[in-house]
Amino acid sequence: MTQRKRLSNSQTPSQSKRRSDPLEEDDGDMPFTQPSTSQVQRGLEKFTNSQVDQKAAEVLQYILVKDQKKIPVRRADLVKNVLKDYRNVYPEIFKRVVQTLDQVFGFKLLEIDTKNHLYILINKLEPSEEAPPPPPLGAPSSPKMGLLFVILSVIFMKRGVVKESLIWNTLKKLRVDPGEKHALFGDVKRLVTDEFVRQRYLEYVRVPHTEPIEYEFRWGQRADAEVSKAKILEFMGELHEQEPQTWSQQYREAHAPPGASQPSTSQQR
Amino acid sequence: MRKSKGAGEDTSRHNGSTVRRRGDRNSEGDHDGFGSGSLQDDDNDPATRREIRSKYRDLINSVQQNREDMLSPSNNKLTEVLEEANKLFKDVRQPREAALDAQLLVVATDLGKEKASQLFAEGSSFNPAAFAVHLLSFMGLNRLENGDNEEENGEEGYLPNDAWDRVARRAECCFRTAPTFHYMMGSFHAEPPPPKQKIERQRKATNKEEKRIMPTQLKKMEESHQEATEKEVERILGYLKSYYQDDPSTPISYYEFVIDPNSFSRTVENMFHASFLIRDGLARMYLDDDKLPCIAPVEEEMEGAATTSRHQCVTSISMKTWRVLIDAFEIRDTMIQPLNTQNE
Repeated sequence: MTQRKRLSNSQTPSQSKRRSDPLEEDDGDMPFTQPSTSQVQRGLEKFTNSQVDQKAAEVLQYILVKDQKKIPVRRADLVKNVLKDYRNVYPEIFKRVVQTLDQVFGFKLLEIDTKNHLYILINKLEPSEEAPPPPPLGAPSSPKMGLLFVILSVIFMKRGVVKESLIWNTLKKLRVDPGEKHALFGDVKRLVTDEFVRQRYLEYVRVPHTEPIEYEFRWGQRADAEVSKAKILEFMGELHEQEPQTWSQQYREAHAPPGASQPSTSQQR
Repeated sequence: MRKSKGAGEDTSRHNGSTVRRRGDRNSEGDHDGFGSGSLQDDDNDPATRREIRSKYRDLINSVQQNREDMLSPSNNKLTEVLEEANKLFKDVRQPREAALDAQLLVVATDLGKEKASQLFAEGSSFNPAAFAVHLLSFMGLNRLENGDNEEENGEEGYLPNDAWDRVARRAECCFRTAPTFHYMMGSFHAEPPPPKQKIERQRKATNKEEKRIMPTQLKKMEESHQEATEKEVERILGYLKSYYQDDPSTPISYYEFVIDPNSFSRTVENMFHASFLIRDGLARMYLDDDKLPCIAPVEEEMEGAATTSRHQCVTSISMKTWRVLIDAFEIRDTMIQPLNTQNE
């Protein structure tokens, strides 16, 4: 129960805007509920197969474009903006989209919020073993990912929760000061507490009963799905010239069987 | 009433405001209602109450302000705070103080929980400061060789420009991010304003020039396209007439007339121009006795030419046919001399 509470709490700072956003759950008509199988059958009779395929392609494109910013896709938006008349055959369309994503792109569509029906795209394929070649051969990777990686590593090594002051202090040692504009990252504080949180890489949660108000950082649901703890530990081992196993707790967590850490029911905290 | 005020904690709970107005009421009630036992004096003495409350608040503040300090496993400050609280609690009589005590407990417990989670560090501990130092090296920090390498805050040296790129590249293999969708040849949304301006300027420049040249050039163009054909047609008519006049009785074979054995393209052009003659009624085609097509100019005196029923036909020729015809008719030379390089 605490888990759900934490989830909804963490979503409040970033989603409070959305709650007042008139588009939230406003379909003009009723909010979207999953049609029953008989409704779907009837719906399918209305449209030709190629029409349904076309709609599925549109949904797919919508998701892909939304994924560019890594902001989760809302089912309500999908229905309102893309599906429109096809809402009754949504389950069929959804099935085709998932299949195409899987077989054509190698992506997985993950539901990170079962209540509000938010989806993210992650790669099904494991990244290659070696680091990619530097440009011009390889595509340039965003330095923001480096920053995120540092933050996620610290949180993980600190067993899943850290106070924000620890993160800021660590970043300062790396010449990244949240109080100053950084040459590469700009407004660091906004990047970390707003953008990364909205992308679901991080959670920025208020610590109860603190005066003045303090926040702590945890891994977000996207990080849980995308990031390999084992590989972070490997990197730590390289940096500190230690075996990853020396951090026994983190090692155990990193190599736990997959069931232990689901995006919406993480037991790690 | 006084009894209830003094001893009844319940009433004071409801009338929280009464209790807040310290001093007077309580002291009155004190004098009136009770005998002066020292214990009870203390209980209701506003100064004592205030003292206790302020001590509690101090304790709460100290826990909040010195959080980092208290978290450190090297001291027992938290325990000391709790012991202080215990002592204070013995003197607690009114719910307000009890509420403060409860608040202190909440704060202390939170801290205790954090301390406890720290306890679980079996195996190697993780020091973020050391991590930062190692990471800086990884990023390629050039530590300048100064005399004072003792600087702890790592302000020595400078980071190369690709420092964070190095980290990002190393980090990539830990992420299973879906690669983002983008058009291979770039999107259409490349910034519109700057290119538009450039295009406008360029267009303006060329427009002006074009306008200037246009009067002279246009005439030439028009001449060359429209009038060229007419000229050609007329020229061919000239040839036809001259050949006809040379020998009016001999029919001029159409193919002999149009074919240029040296150039297939000119042959086609000749056919094209000859067709204009036919269309305009300036020449006529007929089949001779051998059923071969012949061409002859139309005599202008014959008024009937305009009213003669016109027939249409489409002629075509291919290179193969052209060669066959050359052989068949033994055409050595062209009857229509090609123009000089005027039109080329």
